[in-house]
Amino acid sequence: MVESFHEFVVHRSPALCRTAYLLTGDHQLAEDLVQTALARTYRHWRRVRDGNPEAYVRRVMYHQQVSWWRRRRLVERLEPAPTEPADVDHSEAITLRLALNAALRQLSPRQRAVIVLRYYEDLTEAQVAEALGCSIGTVKRHGHDGLRRLRAAAPELVQDTAERSTR
Amino acid sequence: MTSQLRDALRATAEDVPTYPVYERALATARRSHRRRLVAAAATVVLVALAGVTVPLTRTPALDPAGADAALPDRLGLPPIGTLHVTDRPRIGAASVIFSGTAPRLRGWIDTSIIGLVGADSDHYRIMRVGGEAAAGETVYLSPDGQQLARPDGDEDEPGVDVVDLATGRTRHLKSSVTNTVASTPVGWSADSASLVVRDDVPVAFDGATYTSVLSIVSVDGGRWTRLASGAEEARFGSTVAAAPNRLAYQYGRTVAVTDGQGRELSSFLLPDEAWLAGKGAWGPGGATLTVATRRPATGEWTLRQVDPRTGRDGEPLRLPAVTGMLSIRLLGWAPDGSALVAAYQQDPDAAEPPLEEQTGPPATAEQVSSVRVLALTPGATAPRTVLTAPAQVDAVDVADQVIRAGRVRDAEPPGGVGARFWLWTGLVTALVAGAVRYLARRRIRRWLDDRRARASGY
Repeated sequence: MVESFHEFVVHRSPALCRTAYLLTGDHQLAEDLVQTALARTYRHWRRVRDGNPEAYVRRVMYHQQVSWWRRRRLVERLEPAPTEPADVDHSEAITLRLALNAALRQLSPRQRAVIVLRYYEDLTEAQVAEALGCSIGTVKRHGHDGLRRLRAAAPELVQDTAERSTR
Repeated sequence: MTSQLRDALRATAEDVPTYPVYERALATARRSHRRRLVAAAATVVLVALAGVTVPLTRTPALDPAGADAALPDRLGLPPIGTLHVTDRPRIGAASVIFSGTAPRLRGWIDTSIIGLVGADSDHYRIMRVGGEAAAGETVYLSPDGQQLARPDGDEDEPGVDVVDLATGRTRHLKSSVTNTVASTPVGWSADSASLVVRDDVPVAFDGATYTSVLSIVSVDGGRWTRLASGAEEARFGSTVAAAPNRLAYQYGRTVAVTDGQGRELSSFLLPDEAWLAGKGAWGPGGATLTVATRRPATGEWTLRQVDPRTGRDGEPLRLPAVTGMLSIRLLGWAPDGSALVAAYQQDPDAAEPPLEEQTGPPATAEQVSSVRVLALTPGATAPRTVLTAPAQVDAVDVADQVIRAGRVRDAEPPGGVGARFWLWTGLVTALVAGAVRYLARRRIRRWLDDRRARASGY
């Protein structure tokens, strides 16, 4: 059954927002990213609604994020305030998230997109290549470079088993 | 190896709230849609403007020698929306101008339209002239094809306008003849530097009778030198022929020959049924004048040479006669010795001119139904048609340089509509679309909302 655009947004917004935040590391940017991607999807809704509209939105988000990054990569951004509920003690989770955010900021948008798609969305390299509109080789290169940078920035997130075994 | 990374990503994602983006996404989409519409309208306008103005910041390279000039073998009526003579791109030089009573050669409220054809191509332009105007009678193409002379139509300050076809600029030559009420160009000098102009000066206050004053006017300086004057009935300058440093013009039954400064060198009387043949009356060498003679019994027209000092017959020309025509005008001489004449077909429905105007050729446009250009080749048995014109085109003038080039090309007159049509259509369409869109913006928004609500079940 073909759902309306409103239904689509209601049902898929939470997942899209989570991905957007992981791609940007900033709530405001994530919100803008989702809004922009949905606006573009709405303009082409008649064409995409019968296929896989969510894949379309995600593809728009990935490309839009790379495009934005190119335009404002020289702009310093302030660290956003935490948004989780204050009455829950999530100190370990907060520590982990801050470490993740700090590490993800070391990546380029493409590396970041590959990391999010591979290790959050659990897509295969072929699926990532299709989503980003690039070759599998490019996905492998960005994934490899991204992991290398993450390992350097936050070794606790990406453990090198070979090295650990020698230690 | 990456399980910590996966866990961290998921833990981070779980804390992300759902952003309220639905309404703003719709607003962004609509805003973007509006901008695209505006951009599309602007593009239409720019493209329409570009169609006329952009190709065209350039002025066509001129070819003063007229190396590629050629006579088109047929004329067409200028399409609706044809560019004006002052529009870009400039036509540069023209080969032919024409006029007539066809609907596309008549403007609003007593305005005539002169059609122009490019010197070496079928680029058409038009020029509006107030009142009755006819090519080769009141509007003249300069010998080099690069200028056009027309009466300015100003009764308060009469003069002549000279339009430069290369630059689009119009130079106004205000008449220096005292009390003149109308100035009309009647011919060009051979070097395109001067004009012969006739002024009508009322003799009495009521303007019932007029004196005609013929002057030679330099186009650059606007210096007016009087050639002759006399009663209007003598039709001063009904035919003017120019050769380098010489001028011949007819008034009454007399032909006067002057030098370039207007000093009379000689004059002679024409016999009955003979007239100075036309603007190309000077022979190719400039030593003889050509007279057109009508044989009253048959209406047959022949050309013969006369001595410009005495008017006595010269060598026979051996040119074929022209029959069945109301009159002919000699336009010039081709390199092969052919005489090119404009031949005027009588309009059977034309009113009989008043007795005082029945002074013979050249025919006026009112008496003519169509015109064609014939080549009278020495030794040929009959004239050869080198240019045809549509019905209701009754006057034509050809640049001397085109005649001298001696080439005739296959013409393809433009069809469809002209560039001005697209310019105005584009502008009006964009304005109407913009106005409709603006006026109906609320209704459209409401309709889109209703449709969306129906589709989503809300």
